[in-house]
Amino acid sequence: MHGLSEIHWQVQASLPWLLLLQLLPVGGALVVYALGERKAAVLAGKVFALLELALGIVAVSCLKPLDPALQLAERFAPLAYHVGADGISLTFVLVAALLTFLMTLYGMSRGMISPGRLFAVLLLAEAGLVGMLLTLNVAWFAAFSALELWAVVYLLRRWASSRAETQALARFVQYQGFGWALFAAGCIVLGWGHAEANGGRWSFDLFDLMATTPSGKFQTAAFYLLFYGLAVRTPLFPLHGWLPNMAQHGLIAVAPALMVGVKVGIYGMIRFVLPLTPAAVEYWQPYVVGFAGAGVFFTAALAFQQTNLRRLLAFAVVSHTSLLVIGVFSLHAAGIQGAVLLAANFGLAATGMWFIVGFVFRRTGTTELHELSGLFERIPFLAIAFLSFGLAIVGMPGTPGFDAAHLVLEAAIDKFGALSTVATALGNVAAAGFLLWAFQRAFLSQAKVGGHDVDRTLPMEYLVCGIALAAMLAIGFFTEPWLYLTETASQAAAARFEP
Amino acid sequence: MSLPLLSLLIFLPLAGAALLWLLPARFCRHGVALCMGLVLLLASLVLWRFEPSGVRFQMVEQAAWIASLNVHYRVGVDGLSVLFLPATALLFLGSLAASWNGVEAARRLHYSLLLLLQTATLGIFCALDTALFFVFWELTLLPLYFLLGRWGANSGAGPAAARYFLIMLAGGIPLLLAFVLLATAQPQPVFDLTLLLEQPLPRSAQSVVFLLFLVGFGLKVPLVPLHTWLPQLALAAPGSLTALLVGLKVGAFGLVRFAVPLAPQAAQDMHWLLAGLGTLAILYAAVGMLAQSNLRVGLAYASICHVGLAVLGLASYTAQGAQGAISLLLSFSVATGGAFLLLECLRQRTGSTDIHALGGAAKTMPLLASGFLICGLAGVGMPGTSSFPGEFMLIIAALHSHTGAGMAALFGLSIAAGGFLALYRKAFFGPVLRPEVAQASDLRRREWLVLLALIAMIAAIGIYPGPWIEIVRPAAEAWAAGLGR
Repeated sequence: MHGLSEIHWQVQASLPWLLLLQLLPVGGALVVYALGERKAAVLAGKVFALLELALGIVAVSCLKPLDPALQLAERFAPLAYHVGADGISLTFVLVAALLTFLMTLYGMSRGMISPGRLFAVLLLAEAGLVGMLLTLNVAWFAAFSALELWAVVYLLRRWASSRAETQALARFVQYQGFGWALFAAGCIVLGWGHAEANGGRWSFDLFDLMATTPSGKFQTAAFYLLFYGLAVRTPLFPLHGWLPNMAQHGLIAVAPALMVGVKVGIYGMIRFVLPLTPAAVEYWQPYVVGFAGAGVFFTAALAFQQTNLRRLLAFAVVSHTSLLVIGVFSLHAAGIQGAVLLAANFGLAATGMWFIVGFVFRRTGTTELHELSGLFERIPFLAIAFLSFGLAIVGMPGTPGFDAAHLVLEAAIDKFGALSTVATALGNVAAAGFLLWAFQRAFLSQAKVGGHDVDRTLPMEYLVCGIALAAMLAIGFFTEPWLYLTETASQAAAARFEP
Repeated sequence: MSLPLLSLLIFLPLAGAALLWLLPARFCRHGVALCMGLVLLLASLVLWRFEPSGVRFQMVEQAAWIASLNVHYRVGVDGLSVLFLPATALLFLGSLAASWNGVEAARRLHYSLLLLLQTATLGIFCALDTALFFVFWELTLLPLYFLLGRWGANSGAGPAAARYFLIMLAGGIPLLLAFVLLATAQPQPVFDLTLLLEQPLPRSAQSVVFLLFLVGFGLKVPLVPLHTWLPQLALAAPGSLTALLVGLKVGAFGLVRFAVPLAPQAAQDMHWLLAGLGTLAILYAAVGMLAQSNLRVGLAYASICHVGLAVLGLASYTAQGAQGAISLLLSFSVATGGAFLLLECLRQRTGSTDIHALGGAAKTMPLLASGFLICGLAGVGMPGTSSFPGEFMLIIAALHSHTGAGMAALFGLSIAAGGFLALYRKAFFGPVLRPEVAQASDLRRREWLVLLALIAMIAAIGIYPGPWIEIVRPAAEAWAAGLGR
């Protein structure tokens, strides 16, 4: 059995960076909330988001990517506080920080009501995300998850863009509450197992639980509870029901980006599900992959039927998330590494697309495809950015998706053979198909007579999409550092499944 | 280390595309012309410095790119690819000249995309790393999609663009898979073409790789059951773009460069498949051409027909076959490309390229008509034109290796020639019936200058093919030797 090891933060760094990473957004949220609706609040929100990104970069610079141990670790026994990071978690942290920063810029350019409050909630959600990515304790993971969900619910209630928001909100709360409860139940099963084995001493710490993985049926139960809890969150077909409604009726970009931009569900599977229930994972692997493969096609087919750009994007997200799950459950180092990089890429690209949908909505007041036309004439930059993000999702060369998709393919050929790999990759082309189809209708078609008068691209919009595009292209053509960052960690995650 | 000539050549258009945005919109066409002229100059310089009898790959540049996957930026040219560089440069210049007044909206964007396409195309011919090749290969899709979808010739352009894009994206998957299979068959992943050529796969693995390549490249070639995108595209795209798509035979180049040498035994085991597909393409396209009423679609079928011949000749796996195939493809860049460019001029004047809307066009546009005839005859392999040497070698090679298929090919080619002449007669001769044709003006000076250059090349290569064939020959022999023949 491959155990875990960790390196204490004092060995590697002068400051407990991971603690700061978690505290900064909380502090930022408090400051911004205290400033109320003053102009300074907006500025402070942006500054805190930028600082968090800088902190993330500092943490990466302290990390030794070639060491398989969890690093910069911090423990505080009375609270069962235990954090640590490796290449995988810091990649996700960087994505979370970058997306939050872009969201603060985006919120301004959309001209949202009460931006001060919005930014406070946004930073709180970021704190939840970063906490989930850094903690090594399943109970803390669940707690941070609850914090983030609460923030998203608040966002949906307060800044909804449609009358049907109550329905969308109810659906969201039902699904997420259920998923959260499943995950919590899974935690209890694991903690219980540990208590049984250690004379009644409960623990939810990853290191402790690794030593006492439950056997037989208990492990299967724990696997199913944790996996389905995270699958709702991810979202994995067929548990995706909350996303389309929320995407259509909720706050346009920010809420979906928070929920699907940072793939904490995928991260949770790699960090907790794979090591804690290894035997069950291996046993159920074919079923999970089968479901995910079906999900790629099924949701692609559903996406073709959508008449609303926002719902269509939601299905696109579900479709590509299935691909990530296939990567993770290949249980192969290349597949896991590919899934991590793809998750980062998808998060960036999908968020970019949500942003552009938001910009379009601000101009036209609608995202119904039959009411949109000829946008390319008026906003060519946004149109090209939209298509580039769409192509990133398909894994076009030159976008970060390419090398990642490469890796997933490599792993999939190795594990499942060439035929099923081709089928999955074709599902990806189906995804390209529906994005192109939407693009055709909304952007390239002839402008309708009496259509909306569309404003030209604003400087802030150039900035938001420009940063996202530049980040994507830079990662796409200089993949090497990212591969380096995630390689050892992925090998460590896959090592326990090597025969 | 001398000047990195190839990298300069590949990325000059890209730099041009970026600099274009600094120029005032009025002058951007001139900037593009300057940039493309420089590219032609550089390409000629590469050709001049290339030594046909030297080592196989020359002017090789290598730099680390993605070290952990062992992917390198590696470019170089050999006798098979070097002539494609000036041909590409020339064709892009021609495309610019033909579309000089055809682009009204968003000019800068249009020309930046065109330059991006040029970078990708030059990259395809120079890449010596399979991953790099794939990046350039897919990079052509984005500019093509926008150029077609936004600046198409009619309302069908959007769907045609999406269809082309999706088909090519789907075609990329077998290619990528084949490259990954090739790379992972080695103890360390290998994407370097020269290394891959030295260490062939085990025979059992080769057939999968070869079939994947055949599907991936066959879509682009196009081979017959996979050709459905081309006629639709020829109709919807402006001629200046179709010239690039049809004139630049990247698909067939891919077959010569990657599919056959990387899976040599499987390719020889399946020679019947390649030869059969080639013959099918010749016959099908020749007959299909007879049914067309639009000159652009007719030319598209003629092009399918002749690439079929190149594939059939290739299936002989002899140096002669490879040499003939490359010569024919090159001649095509000039001849078919030129014909499509002239059709674009014709469309701008009369609004159509359908024979029912034309008739008697030679009366009002004698220069255009004679230029089109020369390009078209070169396209059907008339002796004395640039296509003839290649076609001759291909037919000989085919008759040697697949006699029956060679006979069928000859038959198909004569049908195609007849089909072309019939279309030509209906469009350009006879009485002038339409006012559009009666009022049309002949070629302008800029246009016939480009035309003159093309015709001079067609005639020069046709009458004195020696030097060109000598550039290809050593590489073609090395190619055939690599197959164990």
